[in-house]
Amino acid sequence: MEQRLANTWHMTINEKKFIESALSKNIRVDGRSPVDYRQLTIKFGREDGSSEVQLGETHVIGLVSGQIVQPYRDRPNEGTLAIFTEFSPMADPAFEPGRPGEFAIELGRLIDRGLRESRAVDMESLCIVAGKSVWAIRVDLHILDNGGNLIDTANIAALAALLTYRKPECTLGGENGQDVVVHDPEVREPLPLIIHHMPVAVTFAFFNEGDAMVIDPTHKEEAIMGGRMTATLNSNGDVCAVQKAGGDGVSLSVITHCLRLAALKAVDITSKIKNAVDSYNTARALRKVKRHNALVAPDITVPDSVMKGNQIGQLAEHQAQKFKEESTKTFDTETVVGIPKETVLFNKKNINFIRKDSDSFIGGPSNWDPYSQSIPPTFVRSSQIFPGSSTVDHKKEARTMLIESNSEETKSNNASSGLSRTSSMSQQRTTPKSLKDAVKPKSERKNRPSPASAAN
Amino acid sequence: MDGQLSAPTQATSLFDQTVIPGDIIVDLPSVANLRVGSGLRQDCFELLAMKVGTLRYKKPNKYWLESSHKRYDPSVEDTILGIVVGRNSENFLVDIKSSSLALLPVVAFEGGTKKNIPKLEIGSLLYVRVVKANHGTNPELSCTDASGKAAQFGPLKEGYMFDSSTGLARMLLSTPTCPVLQAFDLQRFKIVIGLNGRIWVNASTPSMVVLISNAIMASEFLSASQQANMVKELTDQLQTRCSRTVGFITVNSKSAVVNSTS
Repeated sequence: MEQRLANTWHMTINEKKFIESALSKNIRVDGRSPVDYRQLTIKFGREDGSSEVQLGETHVIGLVSGQIVQPYRDRPNEGTLAIFTEFSPMADPAFEPGRPGEFAIELGRLIDRGLRESRAVDMESLCIVAGKSVWAIRVDLHILDNGGNLIDTANIAALAALLTYRKPECTLGGENGQDVVVHDPEVREPLPLIIHHMPVAVTFAFFNEGDAMVIDPTHKEEAIMGGRMTATLNSNGDVCAVQKAGGDGVSLSVITHCLRLAALKAVDITSKIKNAVDSYNTARALRKVKRHNALVAPDITVPDSVMKGNQIGQLAEHQAQKFKEESTKTFDTETVVGIPKETVLFNKKNINFIRKDSDSFIGGPSNWDPYSQSIPPTFVRSSQIFPGSSTVDHKKEARTMLIESNSEETKSNNASSGLSRTSSMSQQRTTPKSLKDAVKPKSERKNRPSPASAAN
Repeated sequence: MDGQLSAPTQATSLFDQTVIPGDIIVDLPSVANLRVGSGLRQDCFELLAMKVGTLRYKKPNKYWLESSHKRYDPSVEDTILGIVVGRNSENFLVDIKSSSLALLPVVAFEGGTKKNIPKLEIGSLLYVRVVKANHGTNPELSCTDASGKAAQFGPLKEGYMFDSSTGLARMLLSTPTCPVLQAFDLQRFKIVIGLNGRIWVNASTPSMVVLISNAIMASEFLSASQQANMVKELTDQLQTRCSRTVGFITVNSKSAVVNSTS
């Protein structure tokens, strides 16, 4: 018992009286005005659907994950959404590990109601096969630090995570066309959830028997407050949920005043969340683009006036096949056969490209190829020891890197992971560069169907 | 253990240096009548550091470590702020931000007997002195000085209390006066600083109290001139907004955000 007393947080009578008397004069202990929020910081993790939100000292992490399940009997064409909260004991000495306390359940329920009842997340788009397979979206909220006002912070974390989550694309396949095929994120770009609007929770704390009201209470203010009310609204002013669980009674005029304030705050917070999500999406798109460039990099740094056309051809090929995935599939079937045929096919394809593109590209490569004039052709010709053009070597190089890095990948993953690994390997290789490095000896070259390099 | 690397002959070079737990400080047989302070432990013929901190030495024989933590390790003769959390027949149970509760005998007040025990409610804030602090037992406190007089110990009325680190509390108590306190010299306020990282402030108006407490919380990692500038900024803002219900702008320094305590 004594140990428990030693480890809990205690508040003094002095603090209680001071905070109450200061609030009667509209002064808050941290210097904020009664209607100000603390500083809000929204960050995202590397994976889609992970957010980290800090509101002053309060710190919450949100994680969204999806699973394919059978739908409920009475809603066969709707997906499901579930909110789970975890109140870590490191957040507050009052949090015990194990069973969630009363407040933990209230928090989860409040956020769930705000999202579900207002139909913020589109459930029907989560359906894959009506009556059989739907997406079950799960939001996990981890409380890391309790500095007061967990409800608002956790709500923002849930919204930010849902807005950045991407679910893998599914198509129907298999023999009878009823099996669900979940595509790897590397093969098919995952899709974001459809969110119609953003329900933002705004919490009010009442003091002095309803005389004083503050928004976004801190931990100390929460310990003294007489009552709490949370209003969940979106930026359009629609009320999604209102929660007032016990505590001091407040008059109707106070409640309407609070709802009006909440509408203003919701607009503000919605714009902050949107800005954060937009910058995350931009960074994410840039990440994808960078990988693509790294693949082209080794080609660019090996200069050759003859190879110019080949490189352009390759670049054009990369871009063309990035948009036409069907053509890669056909290419795939062509190159399945064996080693010599493939080489021949590659050669033909490259030659065609060379011819085509050296005609069409006149001043192109000199813009991005700094060495195109400086390396003498004799140097280049020494690299062309093996039959076929050097571009073929580069392609084979890409494939050998593929093969060396992943020999046990499944067929569906082969192309996609090979792409990423090739890019990482090529990034590593950019530093020590010489022509001889670029060319692999014939013995190490293996030929495999590689839609990845073709897809570049 | 890494501590063995610091040979005793190099002990003097460790003075005013940062040491880590396990470092051996000094070879004891050479010094008689050693006074070991906080953060150090005597182990046969060696003084071992128990915390990360700066080693301090006062002639002829006093050694101690200065470190800054959020929790407090009780040491004798420290003056601290405690919160009453309970009572039994003999002692008040007082929370002092340490691993165990401290005991304040009900008679440890000026002129205290079993007949006139002061009425201290749960949640009262007390300014007390540490009398006994042994590892493993509950520390003992007293509301009198060594001679038995009250000497400003006892319960504190009104005002506002906030938590900080032990390092900040020591900085505020140092001489010459800490810049952040000096900047408020013209205002009249009362302040009680507990070495366990609790600070109590009282002034004539609540806004003044809020101003002082926020300024102190933000000042831990600022230099002297930065502290003075920060206080000036805050007082100016207060004066321009004294009648409106708008709050202060948070001080724009990383240290303010890092150091603000709940």
